[in-house]
Amino acid sequence: MNIDTGPVRPTLRSVIGRGHLSLALMAVSMASISLTLLGVLALRVYADHNLHLIARSINYTVEAAVVFNDSAAATEALAVIASEEEVAEAEVFNVDGKQLAHWERPETGMLSMIELQLAHALLEQPITQPILHQGQVIGSVHLTGHGGSLLRFLLSGLAGILVCTALSAWVALYLARRLLRGITGPLHSLASVAHAARSERAFDRRVPPAKIAELDSLGNDFNALLDELEAWQTHLQSENETLAHQASHDSLTGLPNRAFFEGRLIRALRSAAKLNEKVAVLFLDSDRFKDINDNYGHAAGDAVLVAVASRIRAQLREQDLVARLGGDEFAILLSPLHRLEDAQRIAGKIIASMDAPIALPGDTHVLTSLSIGIAIYPDHGATPGNLLNAADAAMYQAKRLSQGGQQTAESESPAANVQHRS
Amino acid sequence: MLLLALLWIFTPLAFAQPPAGMADQRAKSVTQVVLGILSYARWPVEPAQLRLCIVGPTQYTDDLVKGTTQATGRPVVVQRLLADHPDIANACDAVYIGQLTSDERSRLFASLIGHPVLSISEGGDQCTVGSLFCLRVADEQVSFEVNLDSVARSGVRIHPSVLQLSRRRAPGS
Repeated sequence: MNIDTGPVRPTLRSVIGRGHLSLALMAVSMASISLTLLGVLALRVYADHNLHLIARSINYTVEAAVVFNDSAAATEALAVIASEEEVAEAEVFNVDGKQLAHWERPETGMLSMIELQLAHALLEQPITQPILHQGQVIGSVHLTGHGGSLLRFLLSGLAGILVCTALSAWVALYLARRLLRGITGPLHSLASVAHAARSERAFDRRVPPAKIAELDSLGNDFNALLDELEAWQTHLQSENETLAHQASHDSLTGLPNRAFFEGRLIRALRSAAKLNEKVAVLFLDSDRFKDINDNYGHAAGDAVLVAVASRIRAQLREQDLVARLGGDEFAILLSPLHRLEDAQRIAGKIIASMDAPIALPGDTHVLTSLSIGIAIYPDHGATPGNLLNAADAAMYQAKRLSQGGQQTAESESPAANVQHRS
Repeated sequence: MLLLALLWIFTPLAFAQPPAGMADQRAKSVTQVVLGILSYARWPVEPAQLRLCIVGPTQYTDDLVKGTTQATGRPVVVQRLLADHPDIANACDAVYIGQLTSDERSRLFASLIGHPVLSISEGGDQCTVGSLFCLRVADEQVSFEVNLDSVARSGVRIHPSVLQLSRRRAPGS
């Protein structure tokens, strides 16, 4: 499944995760930035208002001191108020513009510098408010605020943004993972089923149902496709088997043909050579087949062949093989064989099984007999051809001596061991 | 027991360009302080014009006698009266008292009893007797004391700012 193609393609997981993450980050940043902006704007209004209130209260407090031109009293009153409030610098002037009092917040390091800069950037300052006495301007108050609360708000806003961003990123990744499970699970099973179908021809596996409708319908379609493939495959297989059977079997008797027999014989000889066993090849030929064909017609000949085939088959063990070599010739492979006598006994049983008449179409019966030649591996030949020839020769000898008998091939001694039907 | 408070007033001229003359500067400072006190005073019945009487020989009233108008638009009418003027209590809303003998002063304050008249003494040493405010004039500063007892008795209300300032300054002075 891991095919290395040139460009690295992102996984579904990374695509979904990235999508969720960017969506969440965008939402959070938009919300928090707009909220912070609004907050700063609102706070700016309040800070401005607050500064004016402070100026007014300074006004009231220093009014008498300004009336009497009392610089010390004004300074003291100014300090009392300004030190308690968010004021960076405060000044009181009399009506001639002379400074009566001045107060400045002592430097407290970096933070106060930032606060001052912030207040300078955000607030309209310094603000000036006239000091009135009996409706007449007698002086003025100049105030510069410091952005302590603004800075606190911005810092807490920043912290809130960070926390919210981290939180929403976590939630987004969690949701992406959950979504991914819903998507990749079905896709995984689909892929594994497809892979199994492709590489192992396992058409019996099916994709399980999925929770997501599209994936479920995809799985269903895939399953339907697999159904068709399976049916097609089954059909093809049975067709192939039929063809293979037809190629290796005789259509009349249903017995294997010569090619099939030779193949089995080769394998049997190989196995016997390895295990040091014996194998018997029996060559059978119908004695009166030509007469029956001439006298009763081909249909009768066919019926005789079928009957002979089934009778031979009935005498054999399961692992033994009988084949129709052509015409009225049959061959039997006995593998493994313990003794020669076993093969002769089986040949005898087959010859005996021909004693019963064979029913022909048209309510007539006919009697036939078989001549059998026996060849034993390794005694009478080491190759399939030699064995078959030996068995064939033995069969002719049997036929010559007496129809309906059997003859074992001659090995070293030409002495024939002919058995006749009793 | 009299409650005394002292208030130091720094005149704006003290820090200004070289003054035209010391006396001039003092007179102006005195005028400012007197008008300031008057602006923080409330009478039971507000007079349409504020009648300020200067009684006895004074040193720093050259500027004050010119008369002026308060910020509210109320004119301040300044007139010089003799110490034995028969009806000072009714003719004046405020009295600026200069150098008087103790007899004259006793008679003056006796005649003011029961009348809402704001009294300011030019000399600080007489403040225990009955004057509401007593000035202490110096080159650099014009200060004044407040006799809270007299203020309470006179019926003229003085704005708490002035009293608070004086009370605040009392321990330091």
